[in-house]
Amino acid sequence: MKNAEALLDSRRLMNSRLPKFELNEDDAAEGGCGVVGLACEIPVAGRHLFNSLEQMRNRGNGKGGGVAMVGLDHEQFGVSPEILKNDYLYAVAYLDDSVRKDVEEQFINSNFDVDHTHEVPTMENWQELENLDAQPPNVVCYFIRPKPSAVQKFLSDGNLSESDFPSKKAMWDELLFQNTHKLNVEYYAKEQRADAFVLSHGQNMIILKIVGYAEDVIRYYRLDDVTAHVWIGHHRYPTRGRVTHPGGAHPFGQGVDVALVHNGDFSNYVSVKDYLGQRGMEPLFFTDTEVAALGFDLHSRVYGYPMEYVIESLAPTGELDFVMLPDEKQEVYEAIQKTHIHGSPDGPWFFIIAKADGLTHQLIGITDTSMLRPQVFSYQRGEVGIAFCGSEKQVIDAVLESLSSEDKRFWRRCDEYWNARGGSYTDGGSFIFDVNPDEKGGHELTMSNKFGAIVDTHPEGNFEIEPAAMESGFDWPSEWTAIDIFPQIVSTFPAFDWPAARGLLSEIGSHASQHSRRQAVDLLCLLLNRKYDTGTLRTSRWLDCVEDAIMGILNHAGTTPCEYFSGQKSPGHLPEPQNPSQAIVVDARPYPIEGTESLARELVALYRTGWRNFVVTHCHGHRFIGNGFGMETSDVRIDVFGSVGDYLGSGSDGMTIHMHGNAQDQVAQIHKAGTLVVHGDVGQCYGYGAKGGRLFVQGNAAGRPMINSVGSPKLVINGTALDYLAESFMAGDPLEGGGFVVVNGLQFESDGEISELDTPYPGGNLFSLSSGGAIYVRDPTNVLSSSQLNGGEFVELTDADWDVIQPLLVENEEHFGIPLARLLTVAGEMQPPSAVYRKIIPLKNKALSVEDSWAGKH
Amino acid sequence: MAKSKLPVFPSETLIHKITHLMHDGMDARTSGEFEIPPALGDARWTDELILSTWHMAATGTLPDNLNYKTGESNGGFDRLDFKLLDEEQWLKHSEDIKTSIPLNRRGDHRKKLSPAIPIYGGGMSYGSVSVNVMMSRAIHAKNWNTYMSTGEGGYPEELYDCRDHVITQVATGLFGVEEKSIQAAPIVEFKYAQGAKPGLGGHLLASKAGEEVAKMRGSVPFVSLFSPFPFHSTYSVEDHSKHIDWVQTINPDALISVKVSTPHDVDMVAVGSYYAGAHIIHLDGGFGGTGAAPEIAKKNIAMPIELAVPKVHKFLIKEGIRENVTLIASGGIRTADDIAKAIALGADGVVLGTSDLVAMGCTRCSNCEGGPSGRGCPWGLTTTDIELQEWVQQEWAVKRLDNYYTALQWRLRDILRKLGLSDVKELVGRTDLLVYTRSDLK
Repeated sequence: MKNAEALLDSRRLMNSRLPKFELNEDDAAEGGCGVVGLACEIPVAGRHLFNSLEQMRNRGNGKGGGVAMVGLDHEQFGVSPEILKNDYLYAVAYLDDSVRKDVEEQFINSNFDVDHTHEVPTMENWQELENLDAQPPNVVCYFIRPKPSAVQKFLSDGNLSESDFPSKKAMWDELLFQNTHKLNVEYYAKEQRADAFVLSHGQNMIILKIVGYAEDVIRYYRLDDVTAHVWIGHHRYPTRGRVTHPGGAHPFGQGVDVALVHNGDFSNYVSVKDYLGQRGMEPLFFTDTEVAALGFDLHSRVYGYPMEYVIESLAPTGELDFVMLPDEKQEVYEAIQKTHIHGSPDGPWFFIIAKADGLTHQLIGITDTSMLRPQVFSYQRGEVGIAFCGSEKQVIDAVLESLSSEDKRFWRRCDEYWNARGGSYTDGGSFIFDVNPDEKGGHELTMSNKFGAIVDTHPEGNFEIEPAAMESGFDWPSEWTAIDIFPQIVSTFPAFDWPAARGLLSEIGSHASQHSRRQAVDLLCLLLNRKYDTGTLRTSRWLDCVEDAIMGILNHAGTTPCEYFSGQKSPGHLPEPQNPSQAIVVDARPYPIEGTESLARELVALYRTGWRNFVVTHCHGHRFIGNGFGMETSDVRIDVFGSVGDYLGSGSDGMTIHMHGNAQDQVAQIHKAGTLVVHGDVGQCYGYGAKGGRLFVQGNAAGRPMINSVGSPKLVINGTALDYLAESFMAGDPLEGGGFVVVNGLQFESDGEISELDTPYPGGNLFSLSSGGAIYVRDPTNVLSSSQLNGGEFVELTDADWDVIQPLLVENEEHFGIPLARLLTVAGEMQPPSAVYRKIIPLKNKALSVEDSWAGKH
Repeated sequence: MAKSKLPVFPSETLIHKITHLMHDGMDARTSGEFEIPPALGDARWTDELILSTWHMAATGTLPDNLNYKTGESNGGFDRLDFKLLDEEQWLKHSEDIKTSIPLNRRGDHRKKLSPAIPIYGGGMSYGSVSVNVMMSRAIHAKNWNTYMSTGEGGYPEELYDCRDHVITQVATGLFGVEEKSIQAAPIVEFKYAQGAKPGLGGHLLASKAGEEVAKMRGSVPFVSLFSPFPFHSTYSVEDHSKHIDWVQTINPDALISVKVSTPHDVDMVAVGSYYAGAHIIHLDGGFGGTGAAPEIAKKNIAMPIELAVPKVHKFLIKEGIRENVTLIASGGIRTADDIAKAIALGADGVVLGTSDLVAMGCTRCSNCEGGPSGRGCPWGLTTTDIELQEWVQQEWAVKRLDNYYTALQWRLRDILRKLGLSDVKELVGRTDLLVYTRSDLK
């Protein structure tokens, strides 16, 4: 903005003419949330979010749901492409229809030329939606342009001149902003009347929200076929139960052209509110998300900061990450932090923002620097590019599942999934997905990070699958075992095209039906889990086919049991095992995600029937798998496929669990004994309070792995952890049977080769405040510094240490095919363990002296 | 720290006390008939309150010559009194007055638990106290058909004998939490915070985390143990709901209690907990005891329970859910009069911790960690030292607790009788039956 101060003055003037609203003590309650966002090169219909949102209900409580859409279809709103492009879409929610005439007279017709009025269609009878307690508002979309007379009045009322604004659009934006504020004061906040309020104001974007679950927004407003390039769906979990109007639901549309949702809550709501108050902004809805939306609008539109600085103002870079920034960035960031720290939300949050930026449709995900909320980013790029961010992987996969069932250009697995590291010096933990018009009249998706750097989202490999060939050409021996044949397949695989590759799957399928399902499944699991060169094939699509082949074999187990696999005839069916090693295949889909009828309880019931081997398929967010079995379960093995939910393997006392893919949050909480192998990444808070057992992660762990662990848990992470690894670790001395963590700091290249990450551990907090145990980091070039330790110290790795970790690394090789020899190879040369691994132990006196002194006084 | 400033341990007084008790038996100090020892008690737990508790524990009756009703803190419960009816309106018989309360008011399929008295035992972990103390409280809870909580230190094997009366606590360090003890429990208690030290977590010194304690907690002996202040898996109410689902997957029959301290928005916390699935909201006020909490925290952070209870009670009514949840108060409740006042302020019942310890011989000497030796309580209560813990013999301690609760129940019924109420449930939220006593009107 050319003259931001003049603009803020005009707001102060406006406020001086309006009544004041004080925070009612009961108002600011906010809780957690569940969220999914997507940006796509083609328009996506609302129905594709349906399952995703329904499967994420447990992150909301039905007291607030909403969607945002950017990049609309002009026909669905009954306007010309020009009007959709050039006019503002002013969406007003009427909780009381009788005020509509007055609202239009006072705030619409008097200030704007209305090119079109679109009433959002609704279901005839809202009571058909059993989860709704209150009728959702009627929503009217006005396609408007400011009248010249209204512009003149706006300028003179606010002591502004046109030269205060860089453009006409900027001027109109502010007019719109102030018009909305006044409308909301008059018809929403005043006397707590809540008769009408503005849902969103921007170009080519709209917000809809209700008191209910978000999928009911899609149902009620009949969005099944309504399309947009960018979508956000959000379940709110307000703490208190009685919520009667949707004003507090997300997304918040206070910012012009912007819809903002957030997951979490601020502990400094009042501070942010005051910060905004000093800048002429008065919150009316009294939730922390509203102030976040106002803050974002202030920094991006009023102050005109580039996105990088807006993100920095919300999520200030700290600790090691700050130090790692270039000097000139440090200077700017320090200035931003000093100026705006009071407007910076403190506490657990994860923002997802949909923004209409001219012709660009934008989706932005910003991770908070403490990474206290769950978040997953991902993308898939076939003929069509699509990107996601959401609360958990399963909500992303559910959208893809729905899309791929209708449109063969999509498949069920993203090319890449990752947890962002908030405030990271490498990417800022924030990603911006832009859908821009391309030359051919279509759209193109690009991803950039906080620093504006374009992130490559163009993985190699042919994604256009073709039917299977009659023969793959692979030379199958007459007898084989999975582990022996796998290397041979891998060595010839790069030469395979789609017909050959799918032919291979058919051949494995035939082997399953004619010889051994066990062997076939074992081999397919290796093809699914191991990293290898997929040659000309797009890896993610190939793995989708492999998983499909596994499901094809296992799905028959119910109807035609074999020596190795049996199944349920229907949910609730509890057959008995035919032999002790027979596994029961349980299709997760019919079971609720949690509760007394949940999949987790069904597994317990099967366990009590005598089953010891379980194969769980088609998970979509199912939680607590392997929980509730009780003690001494070393004869139990569970294999899990799909998008698993939280708390996998928590409380295990001996069982073996293999997660064939990424796991979610709170995996292996209070893990006591047994083995848990994750063929992928794990989410937040892995192994919290773990007491023992052996844990293996093929990829990365998100924030706070192994926090508060005691006793003797042993963990190998082959990738890295985002931050706070093994905080308050209290295990015993590894050399005396105590617990430890091995961090290998590796990544897999697209050809399956292993390489070193830039740093084996990027976080600023490693082994903080620990009182026992050790961390072994593969850090041959001494990248880690003691500044990352808070109460720990580096010590030399001894032969005794190696004797302890070597067996674990051997087992790691068995699980993931990561050769022990490769771990000891640095720049092509084999090195002794002490030259490759560094050991970190707690620095007792320093970490505990403060605690000890106060506790010791008594 | 200069050496000269270290307290001499054991002190002359302590040696004297212990010798006296060794010669004359533990009960010798309890009647209050003797001279009140100097330096016993403080304004909140006065010498007379300690002596009356001992008297009740020894005899099962109220003392004649001591103030067993209030302390001298000049605030809170000590400034409240009852608007008793005129004597002719008193109920004739107090033994018929009902003191049982239902704990499951959600109306779900889970257990319908009704302790005989509106009191159960608060969490004191194995490690912070000995097995003898835990077992004594558990057997006592069984005798009274009520409950006691394990605290955060695991579930000693002996306790399984009383499993139907033992609440398994799941606290932020997750020490000693395993499926077996969750499956055994009639009630699972999530401890989010402790009123004496909200936001500070917990800390068990290496010296007290000996072999047995470490085994129970799944840790390694003589490594200092921390409980973080938050649940790292729970940063919002949605996580909290998931957390409850987790425990219910392990034990679908258990009631869920959520123990929170009393921040200014405690009412919102309570409502959120209810909607997440809690049966019991347990508010722990700032005057609760623990020798291990830093002085700076005690009484200075959390809201007093006398303010928190009515705040939450009223808000639950406003939300229309008061009838569906059990509200329990703790943190500085010392006497039967306090219990009745807490209930009149809006609680359904209370949790006692410190009072139990006093009944078992605690002198409130604040030496819970046992001075520089780190062996723990000189009276054998808050210690796992193999010698010291022998001070508390189970049979003796159970008897004292039973006696103490007999006296508490008697006095509670006495108050109800004089208020004309035949059921303790009728007292809930009856602030109209309380009167504020000003010091200038004394």
